[in-house]
Amino acid sequence: MITPGLVEALTGIAGARHVRTAPAERLTYARDGLPTHRRVPAVVVLPGSRDELVAVVRLLAAHHVPFVPRGAGTGLSGGALADGAAVLLVLTRLNRILSLDPGNRVAVVEPGVVNVRLSAAAAAHGLHYAPDPSSQTACTIGGNVAENAGGPHCLKYGVTAQHVLALEVVLADGRIVELGSPGGEPWGPDVVGLFVGSEGNFGIATRIAVRLLPLPRAVRTLLAAFASLRAAGEAVSAVIASGIVPAALEMMDQSCIRAVEDSVYAAGYPRDAAAVLLVELDGHSDEAVAADTETVQELLSSHDAASIRVAADAGERERLWQGRKKAFGAMGRLSRDLVVQDAVVPRSALPDVLETIGRIAATYQVTVSNVFHAGDGNLHPNISFDARVPGLRTRVDAASTAIMEACVAVGGTITGEHGVGLDKLRYMPLIFDAESLAAMRAVRRVWDPEERVNPGKVVPVHACREWTGVRSVEWGVRSVASRDAPADSALRTPHSALDT
Amino acid sequence: MTERGGFEALDPCVHCGFCLQACPTFLATGDEADSPRGRIDLMRALEAGELAPDDPALRLHLDRCLGCRGCEPVCPSGVGFGRGMEAARALLATRRRPSALARAALWALTSPGTSRTVYALARMLRATGIPRRLAGWGRLRFAMGMLAATKPTRNAKRGTRNRRAGPSSAFRVPTSALLFRGCVMDGLFAHVHDATIRTLQVNGYSLREVPEQVCCGALHAHAGLRAEARLLARANVAAFGEGDEPIVVNSAGCGAMLKEYGHLVDAAGFTARVRDVTELLAAGGGPRPGAPVDVQVAYDPPCHLLHAQRIADEPLRVLAAIPVLRVMSLPDAAQCCGSAGLFTLLEPAMSRAVLAPKLASLRTAAPQVVATGNPGCLMQLGAGLAAGGLSAAVCHPVELLDESYRAAGYYA
Repeated sequence: MITPGLVEALTGIAGARHVRTAPAERLTYARDGLPTHRRVPAVVVLPGSRDELVAVVRLLAAHHVPFVPRGAGTGLSGGALADGAAVLLVLTRLNRILSLDPGNRVAVVEPGVVNVRLSAAAAAHGLHYAPDPSSQTACTIGGNVAENAGGPHCLKYGVTAQHVLALEVVLADGRIVELGSPGGEPWGPDVVGLFVGSEGNFGIATRIAVRLLPLPRAVRTLLAAFASLRAAGEAVSAVIASGIVPAALEMMDQSCIRAVEDSVYAAGYPRDAAAVLLVELDGHSDEAVAADTETVQELLSSHDAASIRVAADAGERERLWQGRKKAFGAMGRLSRDLVVQDAVVPRSALPDVLETIGRIAATYQVTVSNVFHAGDGNLHPNISFDARVPGLRTRVDAASTAIMEACVAVGGTITGEHGVGLDKLRYMPLIFDAESLAAMRAVRRVWDPEERVNPGKVVPVHACREWTGVRSVEWGVRSVASRDAPADSALRTPHSALDT
Repeated sequence: MTERGGFEALDPCVHCGFCLQACPTFLATGDEADSPRGRIDLMRALEAGELAPDDPALRLHLDRCLGCRGCEPVCPSGVGFGRGMEAARALLATRRRPSALARAALWALTSPGTSRTVYALARMLRATGIPRRLAGWGRLRFAMGMLAATKPTRNAKRGTRNRRAGPSSAFRVPTSALLFRGCVMDGLFAHVHDATIRTLQVNGYSLREVPEQVCCGALHAHAGLRAEARLLARANVAAFGEGDEPIVVNSAGCGAMLKEYGHLVDAAGFTARVRDVTELLAAGGGPRPGAPVDVQVAYDPPCHLLHAQRIADEPLRVLAAIPVLRVMSLPDAAQCCGSAGLFTLLEPAMSRAVLAPKLASLRTAAPQVVATGNPGCLMQLGAGLAAGGLSAAVCHPVELLDESYRAAGYYA
């Protein structure tokens, strides 16, 4: 229970200016980067130091109050939303780079450090932090750890989990544990790997030791235009099959190209192309990268690339990347409302799946724009719509579900990097059976027996009406509603909840 | 004017958050409610009637917006944040008049009769040298520092004796242009107007005075006093007439306002003529080179030049016409200085918090001169430098060009 006394105690720890209770202030925290989900937190606390954060967590533990950690709020699955029973812990003020050791290529940061600021600091030493989510100019390392964030260059360099060496974590009960070792050699089981991507369900990372990599000495960036999505998709498979591992291999469709070209991030993408591929090759030898570039150019040409452009200099390369990375934000040019999906399919299935998505868009009469990490088959269909149009939201949800089912049907999965959060709870039963979900929940309880950190995310505990469009309700399991029945238990269906 | 009064400019926001790190107040507090995205949520709730115009938390966070519009050029969807904010402030003003301090400041600084007296007294106080000695961090001391910062540099003062450049037979028939004088610029920065007239004359422009002109109304519009701003806009559109001569502005805040008069009145012909002084100087092959000026300059782009008018290179091209002068590039120079018109007076705590990182980087870089093309920024930076014990002087970029031209003998 969040009582006035508790709020007063929170104020005692963090200071009155950093405890937000006014409805207007809480409203600004009701959504993240996927604004179709909306939950207003009971209280928002912005601790100013690790010690304040730990004290807040201990206070909440003593009162058995649930809480949700949040970084920059750029997540795309509703993962950092807290409802009226929970306290939102905003970690933006914990934004110090605690140490940067160029010799050992390790940096230790607080969770609120913005991704791109870490790379900027490392660049002075010829290093960078490799995972580069498109939101890297805004998102925080803490959020990246929680979501196991990816990014264009993760095709070659691996996602966040491959770059986190050690963590200091405050658990739900306020205990502090250290996971991993900054030297990078794991002691025993890979607990760091377990924590990274746990979407805030296991605790809050208070200090994060990450690996830094040398900046590549040679880089070539190619932009290839195609007359059809299928041709572009087949070119992707051909590049990967050649054995060359590009640093990044990205695709954008025409709708996306045009939105970017209308924006301040216009990069000179050909507006008439059905799709473009952005291929980056890097390495430590100019000759090797030049040879790979030549091979890739030949492959793209033989797969019907209408044109191929190689970035002439760092400035042009930067513009090509900025266009790609800001594409999601440019979707507001198409319509005022947006949902973005995140699914992974086997690369070989890309051409078929892209066509299927096109058919689904036509069936449900919605606008779908594709911008995604083609090299690892990680799709991001963006559905643009105007929520004020009656009935459109229902069609958008139905199209989302149809897209997800199509991806799963070809052997794919429901999230590549955005996480499950709230948005994909309903799809979890598409890929996991009840036993697997129960096992996940059991693991979570090892860390957080009361399930107080980021409650109601990732593992579907209850099913509610909005799920009913998904073929999930037959996986009958027992209800837990009787034990911790929330106020809105009328919404719950008894046979679809899960217990251990 | 549109049906929704400007709120429609917020519609393209899809909540991506790419604006967060471009917002000086978000960087100062880390609070979503102090970010562009959070403020858009607040403005949308205000328009929808979900939050009342007198909601204290709503007002706190909207009032704390500098209006620097640093969020606009980074927005992939092209959200018109400044436009939305003007609509929101106009709606807020219907419920509560601007604070007594804001109204007093507007009355003292912008009303034609009163302001003349206020500026005359301020110039007398400035001449005593007392403001310079009192400059510091307290509210009054900072204001003293701001006043001291308006003082012309020694050379510029000498130049005021010959306000016009002498006849320069080498130049083509001059193009006629009209000078926008503004309120604070005319009251405290007349030396910048003189430098503007002289440097433009060297570059082939003959500036004509427009006596009927009034304050641009930017401070009124930012305070939500849309009716007052509209009256001023109408008066200026009438004063500058139907001709096609460029209207020259040397204050970024005024320039941004004049270029956006279309939000208030029918002014298409007028707005198309408005030019920042650096736009005119940098046109063609750039300004005529002058004589060497041996100083290290940090250029600080005013938000209303860089973000609102998207003028980035022109002031640098003006400085590039000065031999020997070195322009230093400072990290985060594009970030707001915290001046923001009346903001520095009305929200001193946030204003100083926003100024702090800029002062820190100026301390490290240690330029001799900080150049910026807006009266508010000149005063804010000047006061901050003085309070922080830094010796750098502040001036408008055209003052440096003016000094270079004087040294070159163009005014002989």
